[in-house]
Amino acid sequence: MPEKKRKTPKLDELEKGAWPSFVKEIKTAAEKNAMAEDLLGQLERSYEEKIGHWKHGGIVGVLGYGGGVIGRYSDLPEEFPNVSHFHTMRINQPAGWFYTSDVLRKLCDIWEKHGSGLTNVHGSTGDLVFLGTRTEELEPTFKELTDLGFDLGGSGSDVRTPSCCCGMARCEWACYDTMALTYFLTMHYQDELHRPAFPYKWKFKMSGCPNDCVAAIARSDMSIIGTWRDDIRVDNAAVTEYAKSGMNIERDVVGNCPAKCMEWDGKEIKIDNKACVKCMHCINAMPKALAPGKDRGACILIGAKAPIVEGALLSSVLIPFIKLEPPYAELIDLVDRIHEVWSENGKNRERVGEFIQRVGMGNFLEAIGVEPIPEMVAHPRENPYVFYEEFFEEESEENPKP
Amino acid sequence: MAEQASVQEVADAMYKMIKDSMGQKKWKATDLTKAVNELFGERCDKNIAKSAIRDLIESGKCVYTYFGGSFIEIPHKEGAEN
Amino acid sequence: MPEVQPKQQRKTDIGPPHYEKFLPPIIKENYGRWKYHEILKPGVMVTVSESGARLYTVRAASPRLLAIDKIRAYADLADKYSNGYLRFTSRNNVEFLLSDESKVDPLIAELGALGHPVGGMANSISSIVHTQGWVHCHSAATDASGVVKSVMDELVDYFTEMKLPGKLRIALACCLNMCGAVHCSDIAILGIHRRPPRVERDKLKAMCEIPSVVSACPTAAVRPATIDGVPSVEVIEERCMFCANCYTVCPAMKLNDPLNDGVSIWVGGKVSNARTEPMFSKLAIPFLPNNPPRWPEVTEAVRNLVEVWAKNARKYERMGEWINRIGWPRFFELTGIPFQKEHIDDFKHAGLTFKRSVHLTH
Ligand code: SF4
Ligand code: SF4
Repeated sequence: MPEKKRKTPKLDELEKGAWPSFVKEIKTAAEKNAMAEDLLGQLERSYEEKIGHWKHGGIVGVLGYGGGVIGRYSDLPEEFPNVSHFHTMRINQPAGWFYTSDVLRKLCDIWEKHGSGLTNVHGSTGDLVFLGTRTEELEPTFKELTDLGFDLGGSGSDVRTPSCCCGMARCEWACYDTMALTYFLTMHYQDELHRPAFPYKWKFKMSGCPNDCVAAIARSDMSIIGTWRDDIRVDNAAVTEYAKSGMNIERDVVGNCPAKCMEWDGKEIKIDNKACVKCMHCINAMPKALAPGKDRGACILIGAKAPIVEGALLSSVLIPFIKLEPPYAELIDLVDRIHEVWSENGKNRERVGEFIQRVGMGNFLEAIGVEPIPEMVAHPRENPYVFYEEFFEEESEENPKP
Repeated sequence: MAEQASVQEVADAMYKMIKDSMGQKKWKATDLTKAVNELFGERCDKNIAKSAIRDLIESGKCVYTYFGGSFIEIPHKEGAEN
Repeated sequence: MPEVQPKQQRKTDIGPPHYEKFLPPIIKENYGRWKYHEILKPGVMVTVSESGARLYTVRAASPRLLAIDKIRAYADLADKYSNGYLRFTSRNNVEFLLSDESKVDPLIAELGALGHPVGGMANSISSIVHTQGWVHCHSAATDASGVVKSVMDELVDYFTEMKLPGKLRIALACCLNMCGAVHCSDIAILGIHRRPPRVERDKLKAMCEIPSVVSACPTAAVRPATIDGVPSVEVIEERCMFCANCYTVCPAMKLNDPLNDGVSIWVGGKVSNARTEPMFSKLAIPFLPNNPPRWPEVTEAVRNLVEVWAKNARKYERMGEWINRIGWPRFFELTGIPFQKEHIDDFKHAGLTFKRSVHLTH
């Protein structure tokens, strides 16, 4: 057991207060683990100096994979030798982030033996993150993980670990089986997930309905968001219950409908379903009374990303509606065509959204063989600088009328 | 039609390209694939290139690295390592 | 090179375990057959199946950075109250999945004793999605966990109660890389650098390829230069927007600066399609200092934003929807935030963000 080396007056401040404290977590780990103890020391130093003390390592990993391990080294290795290496392992989470106590304990045992004893549950992309270990511990940890049935997730220019909301496991609004699709895509793209071969990262995120609980539209190159195309199901007796319990249906539900397609006469809700834009508001407000229709599927959007390199983007509509059922052949075919065009023509560190901006959505659609449709735009172009490709030529001998 | 290049042949060619340009250029998987396609013409296709990369990595002759994007390099002690 | 096991013994490309192994029987039986849900009280929800089965979810706050001891404590609680079944949410909360309603209150009490408040559902603030900060990131301009802890200590009542007009989603990223959906959050806290990279020439020569560093910069602020006869790069300071793209590809281009790094605050983004379309967050406060361990300027700014919105927004109105209704001039007036030059976009297509009508309130 490492002796208590140093005082951490600044971090101690963060043990106070009602919100659970990460400092307490590090201190608990530090009681048994020298890495966690040195992490505490280096972090206190950052708090004093207002600066980080990590260096990026780009080479470490497990044999054969180009993703799943993020290399980190301390820039104060003499003072904090136990975090001289402090690499992260990304472990592909089970879809929907469901666990049993049994499997969690086994994961903890592995990390107790091979790392700092600190984790992120979960990282931003969705992986279970083992925070901090040495290069020589990577292979042994990997072996124990695979023996337990787990594998590493993505990092670098590869398919990043797909993630999804809990979908049909617990949500009545799920318009397709997000967990099944996530598992399917993760398994189907194992090679692309572990062996980076793209211009830059590629993220899939699956949300079961337009509430988009995993922020697919903001964070994934391909955002698969559940929706429906028939009528919202209405139980008017239940609507009346909501009204009786004090809900102001006229103002708060009807008044907030973006399509202005609802009417409420005190007894019945009437919806012009042709006009409804499937925003979910009315259903969110009265989950006992309203439900998405039965003809369910998903909308596929493309191109979201955070600012690096050329600025942030939201995904935009590629396929307005698709049925998503095994074996997902239509979807896989589409993804493969996109990967091919983007891999072939994308620049280093160019996400697919930026690639589309550079080559033009019209050209991109042509290359992947998808017809342009009005659902893809908020409105047609406003600027007149059209790159016309078709034109007529005068009739001549070389150019006779067909 | 010319006889297909062997995976070993392609892997060796890739290794040489990587080695010859160490310190000047980092190679991505797609760059290597394009380069060997040019070199071998129709004797090499994407699948051969892919197997060649996999051989280089699994034999330990090359490793994947990550500096903003993913590259394929000859293993070396990294600058940041303590 | 570390020891590697012989190839034939290594298992690779097995992927994650199938999720079905971890689903409680009640979920397996009612998968895809849920009928409706109801929030019973803060952090407690019942999901009711067509079969009549009732699944109780208890949601508790988590700091995301967990010691294995805490995960084991969660496992013990799951054994005691939910037959060993639990899950985590996209905002890093932990959820226990109970079939027995009578166990809900005792579980809440134990979670409380463990220091994990229950809440984060419906019209409340859920946990802050955040990045690594000084705990693990090489490019962080601020810490993540410490700021989050400080802000949530201040706002915890909004987590454990449901007294807000609508949902409020806060996110933090410790640099412009934004490893988290901060750019579409009601309130985003973003670590920023304000000084251009310092070129460490010796390191650059050893670690980086000059063409990749040059091409990494979106504004062409980095250009090749021979300095003292050695090929290197120089940075044109006026062009640098402190994005750290160059640093990501080349560690010899450090931007961290204790004096000038800090935090900016962004507001009004959302990802949900409910009512209005998803929106990006917009700049509210260009700079607040890094002031560890408690970041008082940041916690105060966030508290102010939450309170002004909570007081003025209509039912269901998210931060961005509220601002769109009242207009930005009124937003700055109500929050008391000074409007300044940095608020006006000057990157690509900036003109689209100018006010191009006389729809103004006076
Ligand atoms: S889902 Fe949205 S658009 Fe459709 S009826 Fe309900 S509130 Fe209106
Ligand atoms: S920080 Fe960004 S803008 Fe400044 S030099 Fe580096 S890449 Fe260019």
